[in-house]
Amino acid sequence: MTIAANLLAAEESSPLLPHMYELVVGGFAFLFVVLVVGKILTPRIQQTLNERTEAIEGGIQKAQDAQAEAKALLAQYKEQLAEARHEASRLREEAREQGAQIKAELREEAQAEARRLIEAAHAQIEADRQQAFAQLRAELGRLSIDLAGRIVGESLEDEARQRRTVDRFLEELESSNAAVR
Amino acid sequence: MKALTVLAAPEEFKAPGPELFDIPPVVSGVAWLTKPVLLALLSSLVVVVFCWSAFSKPKLVPRGVQNVAEYGYMFVRDQVARPFLGKDADRWMGLLLSIFFLVWVWNLMGVVPFLQFPVASHIAFPIVLAGTIYLLKIYLGMKHQGPIGYFKNMMFPPGLPKPVYILMAPLELLSNLVVAPFTHAVRLFANMFAGHLILAFFSAVGFWFLFEQLSPLGAPVGVISVVMTIAMTGLELFIQFLQAFLFAMLAAMYIGGSLHAEH
Amino acid sequence: MPAMSEQERRPEDDGRDFADAAWSIPSYILSGIILYGGAGWLLTRWTGVAVFTPIGVIIGVVLAIYLVYRKYGR
Repeated sequence: MTIAANLLAAEESSPLLPHMYELVVGGFAFLFVVLVVGKILTPRIQQTLNERTEAIEGGIQKAQDAQAEAKALLAQYKEQLAEARHEASRLREEAREQGAQIKAELREEAQAEARRLIEAAHAQIEADRQQAFAQLRAELGRLSIDLAGRIVGESLEDEARQRRTVDRFLEELESSNAAVR
Repeated sequence: MKALTVLAAPEEFKAPGPELFDIPPVVSGVAWLTKPVLLALLSSLVVVVFCWSAFSKPKLVPRGVQNVAEYGYMFVRDQVARPFLGKDADRWMGLLLSIFFLVWVWNLMGVVPFLQFPVASHIAFPIVLAGTIYLLKIYLGMKHQGPIGYFKNMMFPPGLPKPVYILMAPLELLSNLVVAPFTHAVRLFANMFAGHLILAFFSAVGFWFLFEQLSPLGAPVGVISVVMTIAMTGLELFIQFLQAFLFAMLAAMYIGGSLHAEH
Repeated sequence: MPAMSEQERRPEDDGRDFADAAWSIPSYILSGIILYGGAGWLLTRWTGVAVFTPIGVIIGVVLAIYLVYRKYGR
């Protein structure tokens, strides 16, 4: 082998010198990948990743909203519960007051009734006493006349006189009675 | 050369060298139809099919492939795009995701059984990506900082004593316009090249001592080599991912540097 | 525009600066070696004084490190 041939061979096989056809094929292979992966597919995955980020952020927002809503509801329920308790205690109080009032009214009524009954009883008793007193007075008059007639022995015929006498007697009797009492 | 070594060494061990990367065409006569070319096409197909099955109809609640691919997307977005591009990250995610996935699959081809060839170990493929980023970097720089402003900001970063600029300006120019894109491509290429050589070396040693020249003395060496092959494959898996990440990260860094003037 | 960029600084900028610096250092050092090492090599070719090449390389490395320090350090 001549030196020139050696040099040529060395040059041909030198790993630092590119083959023309490899440059061309490599260029097309790279262009193919850039067009499909870089121009078509990368925008798609970028859009999906953006959508995913939005979805996650939206999800977080949604969860926060739900939490806020739940909190508001809880506060509302608590308020309502407190209100209900308050109302119940108010009603209880009112009922107690009403009960006390009713009791007082009833007692008053009963006392009035009792007073009325007692008064009626007093009146009845008074009436009975008057009646008994009147009957007793008539009976006593008759008996006294009878007794006086028997003692005196004379019949007092004159009705008017007779009555006057009796009345006088009775008045005396009454006054003596009052003095005794 | 290859034929020569094969003929010359029937019972002598020959460590694999750069000729490992000289692969004859699959169909003889069609020079461009080689294994790396086919693997590059296959890699693009794998990336496109994978991403299509994951992202063509993305669901709000990810499932299966979409879930896996979203990890990749999140990784590129949070570790590559956002640190260097900030609020512009989403606009460049398509390009960065394509680069990251494509480079990673290229590299993974180095450990896929039977394929076992990292696409990026042929420098043409890293050059395509790094060159694209390089052109994009200059275009964006001129667009956002003005054609003159871009080179002015590049060559005369603020905060330096005036006389120093005479020494620094050419350094900046060389670094930004020549060395940076060169190392961008070569870093990926060299890592994959070396990784493939190392794997090939240990598996060749193991094969030699365990199958071709089995001897009581050689067998332990062979066993160690096989163990090393497995360990190195694990290391390679890590480096393949790391290099894909770095390649995408540097791309994001260059784009970010062009969008906003350095401070 | 250092004042404006000071205003725009956000916490994540620090991480970005660090990565920027970390990945710029090899690029700058390599550029320094190529540029000033190359200049030294040319001087060696013209004058025949061999020491120009290593001096150029060293100057290149020092300049590169100084540049990185001024841009990202402090």
